[in-house]
Amino acid sequence: MRFIKDIQNSIRSNNSHNSLCINNIFYTYKDFENEIRKIRFAIVNTIESSERLIGLVTNDDIQTYASIIALWLEGKAYVPVNPETPLDRNYHIFELTKTKHVIDSSKESVYDDYEVINSGVLQDLHPSLSPKNFSGEHLAYILFTSGTTGVPKGVPITFNNVQALVDAINEEPEFNLNNTDRCLQMFELTFDFSVVTYLFPLLAGACMYTIPKGTIKYFYIFKLIKEKALTVLTMVPSIINYLRPYFPEINEESVRYCSFGGGALHSDIAKEWSECLPNCKIFNYYGPTEFTVYSGFYPYHKDTHTKTYNGIIAIGKPQKDTLYLVVNENNEEVPIGETGELCLGGPQITPGYWKNEEKNKQSFFIRNENGKDIRYYKTGDLCIKDNDSDFLYVGRADFQVKIRGYRVELSEIEFHAKSKSKKKVNMVALDINNKLGNAELGLAIESEPFDTSYIFEHMKTKMPNYMIPMHVRFIKDFPHSINGKIDRKELKKHFDIK
Amino acid sequence: MSREEILTKVSTVFSNVLEHNNFELTNATTAEDVDGWESITHMMIITEIEKTFDIKFKLMDLMNMNSVGDLLNTIETELSIN
Repeated sequence: MRFIKDIQNSIRSNNSHNSLCINNIFYTYKDFENEIRKIRFAIVNTIESSERLIGLVTNDDIQTYASIIALWLEGKAYVPVNPETPLDRNYHIFELTKTKHVIDSSKESVYDDYEVINSGVLQDLHPSLSPKNFSGEHLAYILFTSGTTGVPKGVPITFNNVQALVDAINEEPEFNLNNTDRCLQMFELTFDFSVVTYLFPLLAGACMYTIPKGTIKYFYIFKLIKEKALTVLTMVPSIINYLRPYFPEINEESVRYCSFGGGALHSDIAKEWSECLPNCKIFNYYGPTEFTVYSGFYPYHKDTHTKTYNGIIAIGKPQKDTLYLVVNENNEEVPIGETGELCLGGPQITPGYWKNEEKNKQSFFIRNENGKDIRYYKTGDLCIKDNDSDFLYVGRADFQVKIRGYRVELSEIEFHAKSKSKKKVNMVALDINNKLGNAELGLAIESEPFDTSYIFEHMKTKMPNYMIPMHVRFIKDFPHSINGKIDRKELKKHFDIK
Repeated sequence: MSREEILTKVSTVFSNVLEHNNFELTNATTAEDVDGWESITHMMIITEIEKTFDIKFKLMDLMNMNSVGDLLNTIETELSIN
């Protein structure tokens, strides 16, 4: 596997450079190499070579990062579980993957039913950092996301998938990390976005800075940017929503790249944020877990690249070897300018949901293009392809709701409500079922109550009557999922309508 | 306003936001010691305190705020400026 060889070379040639900063303690690439070799020694000596799906408890320490690389050198996959997640759910994940071995750096492991490698107390070093020879079809990791039925949904990603991601990013001349970069790694390792925030710094010999558990994330990130002069930021848009009241105090010249992903990036806040980072290129990345993190991006610039749809910044073009296709209900391509579901094809596509044939039938299809069969993943995101071949993000397909028989795009309501509001607050449109089972529109506003009548007057001039929300709730702080996305299900509970 | 008065008001904000009062705030108290005090509730607490005292924190102060003692100090400073 080329990218694992590249990690090995990067570790070797950057031995004296810092690789990690955790809770203000720096670790060099030499330190990182030692941890990898200790864990590799333990893996080789305790895990049969046929066992390939290995549990990993995601603590915030050097051993946890080293475990990923040690497993990869041996051609094995990590199955990450968050120590703060209920144990039942983590056990359930290991049952689904038939995992027998768990690598855990915790002082006392709670995984008694498994063979635990305590990565915090190892001594012996494996002699080598050279990767074993193995098939690129082997899995590199499996991540579990919440499934609609309550059973976690597993997304396996192969080494070939990861290699294709690395190749695509290397192809991009606008984004080049080097061994003097200082990169933010704010993600929990069970969240797929983390793959790019540890993998790219390691490949470049750069240093990554993590967010210790128990700190106030938003302020800690700012503290790192300021005190450590971070150069590369990768984050979800909700971070800057929280920092927004303090933008006038932020002017960080050290930052050269800021990548967003994992949610819609709104142009008004992106413009304000880009003014806080005067030397920074902003990338609006798009990509689902099922397609190995990133599938493409739009290079936002507050003056020159401002393409939006309903206030949401465009997602741009697919990256190297990736195909975008916008389809209707019958998986047929729709014309330029029309809304449809975005589908992704290419070498980064997952082999399919873990042991879930039913879901695989719904989410993947084969399309013959120029005599070749291309397998596509249906993202559930609605997009429009424009005349410049840029893709515009419209909203989630499941946020397209039917109100009195009319198709309604919830993001459009949010756009019109927010565009007129004098208070810059978050607003989310929701479809709420009334007692009769009919959907009515609600608007949740993240604020203390204020007079919204002028907003409604404005909306009535922009949208048909059936698109005007009938219910308004003020909620001081929106509930978020662990990945920082707004939890719409939870928000709906605030609407108790008859 | 005395430090004790400030502490009383701050405790009220905490119990309103966290919806419980199973805590005793002292200078040394940190987020680890109080149930439910984490990143998002902290942002709510900060907003509520700004309203209660009619002050506006600076990001530089917020980023170095590690304990209830730091919080009280910052409130005192802000009140003396106003």
